[in-house]
Amino acid sequence: MNGKPAKTKKSFSEFLRSGGVGSVVASLICILGGLLVGFIVLILLAAFAEDIPFSEAFKGIVTVLGGPFSGRDNVMFQMGNMIFQAVPLIMTGLSVAIAFKTGLFNIGAPGQYLMGAMGTLIVALSIPTTVVPSWIVWILALLTGVLLGALWGAIPGFFKAKFNVNEVIVCIMTNWIAANIVSWVFKSTGDKFINIAETKVNFIRKTVTNGVQTPTLGLDELFGGSYMDISIFIAIAIAIVLYIVINKTTFGYELKACGFNKNASKYAGMNEKRNIMLSMAIAGALAACGAALWCLNGKQDFKWDTYQTLPNDGFNGIPAALLASNNPVGVIFSAVFLKYISVGGSNLAAQTSFNEYVSPLIIAVIIYFSGASKLIKDLLAKKSTVVPPKIPDRVDYYKVAAEIAEDKAEAAAEAEAKAEKAVTEEAKTAAVEAAADPPDPPDVLPGEETEKGGTEE
Amino acid sequence: MNNEAAAPVGATGEGGSPYVIEMRNITKMFPGIIANDNVTLQLRRGEIHALLGENGAGKSTLMSVLFGLYQPEKGEIYKDGKKVTINDPNDANALGIGMVHQHFKLVDVFTVLDNIILGVEPNTAGFLRKKDARKKVMELSKNYGLNVDPDALVEDITVGMQQRTEILKMLYRDNEILIFDEPTAALTPQEVTELMQIIKGLAAEGKSILFISHKLNEIMEVADRCSVLRKGKYIGTVDIASTTKEELSNMMVGRDVKFSVDKEEAKPAETVLEIKNLTVKSRIHKKNAVSNVSLKVRAGEIVCIAGIDGNGQTEFVSAVSGLEKPEAGSQIILCGEDVTKKSIRYKNTHGVSHIPEDRHKHGLVLDYTLEQNLVLQRYFEPEFQKHGFIRFDEVRKYSEDLIEKFDVRSGQGPVTPARTMSGGNQQKAIIARELDRKHKLLIAFQPTRGLDVGAIEFIHEQIVATRDAGAAVLLVSLELEEVMNLSDRILVMYEGEITGELDPKTTTIQELGLYMAGAKRQKTGGGDNA
Repeated sequence: MNGKPAKTKKSFSEFLRSGGVGSVVASLICILGGLLVGFIVLILLAAFAEDIPFSEAFKGIVTVLGGPFSGRDNVMFQMGNMIFQAVPLIMTGLSVAIAFKTGLFNIGAPGQYLMGAMGTLIVALSIPTTVVPSWIVWILALLTGVLLGALWGAIPGFFKAKFNVNEVIVCIMTNWIAANIVSWVFKSTGDKFINIAETKVNFIRKTVTNGVQTPTLGLDELFGGSYMDISIFIAIAIAIVLYIVINKTTFGYELKACGFNKNASKYAGMNEKRNIMLSMAIAGALAACGAALWCLNGKQDFKWDTYQTLPNDGFNGIPAALLASNNPVGVIFSAVFLKYISVGGSNLAAQTSFNEYVSPLIIAVIIYFSGASKLIKDLLAKKSTVVPPKIPDRVDYYKVAAEIAEDKAEAAAEAEAKAEKAVTEEAKTAAVEAAADPPDPPDVLPGEETEKGGTEE
Repeated sequence: MNNEAAAPVGATGEGGSPYVIEMRNITKMFPGIIANDNVTLQLRRGEIHALLGENGAGKSTLMSVLFGLYQPEKGEIYKDGKKVTINDPNDANALGIGMVHQHFKLVDVFTVLDNIILGVEPNTAGFLRKKDARKKVMELSKNYGLNVDPDALVEDITVGMQQRTEILKMLYRDNEILIFDEPTAALTPQEVTELMQIIKGLAAEGKSILFISHKLNEIMEVADRCSVLRKGKYIGTVDIASTTKEELSNMMVGRDVKFSVDKEEAKPAETVLEIKNLTVKSRIHKKNAVSNVSLKVRAGEIVCIAGIDGNGQTEFVSAVSGLEKPEAGSQIILCGEDVTKKSIRYKNTHGVSHIPEDRHKHGLVLDYTLEQNLVLQRYFEPEFQKHGFIRFDEVRKYSEDLIEKFDVRSGQGPVTPARTMSGGNQQKAIIARELDRKHKLLIAFQPTRGLDVGAIEFIHEQIVATRDAGAAVLLVSLELEEVMNLSDRILVMYEGEITGELDPKTTTIQELGLYMAGAKRQKTGGGDNA
């Protein structure tokens, strides 16, 4: 009965020691630093622009901080959209995070995202839901996108494992190849996928036109007619599964070992090349899944002429992962936070005298600061080493060793006492034999014996 | 030079201090461990002062405090009787303290001269005046017998010359107090002798030297006095002239230490490892690193590959363990089964334990905890996982068991990050892991490198025990004493070939030395033996 609570307590103290708290504190410091600098930027802008009073700077930072809550009367609508928009960012954040765990820098999330979107859209729009039930099309579309993303992610993994080519170079290359392939595929298929019904150009048809749509369970209504659907729950579930895989399974143990020390992993008999490829494939699948969930919402316009720009959510996965110290569950919060700030940013443009160029600037500052979270965490860790440690239930191995030594000494002393007894008895018999000799030799002899024994031990 | 007379009389009444450096009551703590506990160290002018202690006794920490890399929680440092604070290595340098680190701090692609002047380049308005620097370096080199080629690139020169470069770096900066952190760890026996001469010469010229080591022979040979640390505590300082190796080891370990290995006659049984015509290409030069080596290791015997570092031992062991691919025609047979093309995992699970040469590169995942490292090859076994999920409680239990059995010391026990452990305890962790795994063959590459006498004694006992339990042991060692003490058979490797087989009972260290240096070889054509 006593064992269980003690155990959970122990693991909690381990959690404290594991640096998890340090990570959270470091991330919060980053965010605060970013906000502070953002505020300074607003003040400077107010100072230099004649038509903006200083009070606007204050109002501006409050608007940014307020996120969807500063959206006047449509708070729920903005909130719903924010949560929905966070889904692809969570997924790309997870993609970057898992690659980081294996020691790889996945800057190829934008390309994987695009390939995922392409695969999903083609399947979702080309299988008629009059023939196949729409939920089957939905699943098929998702799987196709994910698979295509996995393959796309595996390419840099393959080059890294086989030829030791830096994954960053191959990732950047595959990003632009993906961007061009997507444009080429959609352009060459012509009107099949491109939205021509509406006046907008360069967009793919919404998947809802084929009846393919992620279930909303009424969430869209609840959140003021926003895009909200159940994809956020899928993303959270994936993040939790990933957390478990990384921290609790042999597979995660291997991936991390390869990330920390490739040579030692090889020495230990792990297949480090396979792990590198797998890790990148999983990263690709995750980024593509983000794209698929976004597209399958049904009401989203996908811009197909991507050859000149890469999707922001792909790159923003990097700050999302960094801000969360590559913790999959942490990525959920960091991604939502980044979207929260960006909603605040768009409200800034709408509600204050600052123009729409200022809000991305503020967001950029915050993201920039998030890159420093590792630095701040290290600083915190460094500072804490100076303070004499107070670790609650640490086993003091020296003490244990001393106790063991003591036990041994006791045992030795006992054995000695026995030997002594034998000696005294022997001496006694000797004394008896020697009859009436005044100086008693046994008194001296055992004393010497113990002293000698003591120094030996 | 002689400012002893001019040294001011301090307020403490200790002026005209006989000590050039005095560290008083230094206490330095790290999470979970007190690295230095009230340690006092007094260095006299012109002496060679050895700092002796077991692995993790706090020697390096104390020196890092002196060199300004760590700030102590308590304690003071006095230079010539005056209190000083050393906040970083620049402060140390300004006080004339120089340090040769265990791992050299040289720029590989720079020349020796450039490395020496790095950071204190003589210049006129930003233009280098290398001529002056060269003159000074050459003078120093001549005066102290430090033979270097100033124009050679550091990556091309031997470890010994790199070390001389490091020493010249200190001399060039007019350092008076020279710290050597385990300077002989990477040297060949010849280079060690040379270094000892150099150190004696430096002391004769009035430099004060702190010599960190746990090698008693070296301390006995070179030092004037010796301070001993044990588990972070200061034990005492003795004059070398009036002490013995035994007394020093007793002070260091806290008990008497045996220097020879007690072992019974080997009872070799069936062949466990047979190697036929093993050839491995070199990554450095065009020749083969290992050429056509054939040998057998039987159950119940310790076969030692002796040789000077860089004669193909690394490549040989890499090929046998599977880290490197041997050339076609090579054969590695384990218990009658050809495992030449089998994976490392296969060998690991079929009776091969391997204590690697480089514990940081191969032996440990430094960012993992101690317990995670202890199951590095076993995490997938049913004992430690269920349906792919790691059984953390089993891992914890197992590692606590190993930690106790092998006396692996660390700040936080099983959850200590491996990176924060001392080198000796990292090595002990690896040895615990490898010896505890079921094995028919133990490959041990320098298993006692960088360990203190107490730990060496323990590891030697363990290796003999695994031999007596019926394992075959393939030992690679660069230490002559270890080779002579531990092995049942000696095979000498010279330039990638087995040049002789010797019996440790009948051969002498001198003869072994001749084989190792390539001056002598047997005609057997590669140690093929039955």
